[in-house]
Amino acid sequence: MPRPSNNNARSAAGGSAPHNPNTINSPFRQKRNQPKKRVNPLKKSRLIDYLDGKFLSRFTNDQGKILPRRITGVTALQQRRLALAIKYARHLAILPFVAQDTR
Amino acid sequence: MTDSRLYESTAILNAALEDADVEIATKRITDFITDNGGTLVEVNKWGRRRLAYPIKKKFNGYYVYMVFEAPASMLPLLERFYVLDENTLRHLTLQLDPKLREFRKVRAEAQALRAAAMAEASNKM
Repeated sequence: MPRPSNNNARSAAGGSAPHNPNTINSPFRQKRNQPKKRVNPLKKSRLIDYLDGKFLSRFTNDQGKILPRRITGVTALQQRRLALAIKYARHLAILPFVAQDTR
Repeated sequence: MTDSRLYESTAILNAALEDADVEIATKRITDFITDNGGTLVEVNKWGRRRLAYPIKKKFNGYYVYMVFEAPASMLPLLERFYVLDENTLRHLTLQLDPKLREFRKVRAEAQALRAAAMAEASNKM
């Protein structure tokens, strides 16, 4: 049901922009500016090492929270592995649970 | 019957110990592994590092990383050993994916190469 109307909205708002079949199927999405295409910062086959604090800290904010996939742009599988790796790293005090220096 | 698996184990020892005592403490762990049917593949002492948050009111820890092959039945014993060992602040034992091991090796080599190149460049300067 929402499909045809959404398609119409997309063709009206998006104009000749390249059609991306992965966009979330929401009528609100198209009214705003075309969402930026996420670029995966990692190769698809990149392994995730829980002992590498510097690498993992790229996927946490400065409070030490794990960033959502919306922002990191990695694949779903990588995000799951990242989350696990960050938790292992926290256990070994390689990464903080909560960073103290930022209030 | 005796199928052994590849494991990696990281332990954080009390960094307040003297170097000789740290040596003894790591030897106790490695001896425990070998005495209980494991074979050590790699022992890597990362040395003293600052902890990301205090553990048992200590801000520094001495990290020891080990790779070993052992039957699965040995792991509960190792776990118990770690818990009872007063010098270990934290420990984590996981099954080691050979792919991850390869990946770490490749990256460590790349890093060493880069460091060497940097050193050379600074020497020429």
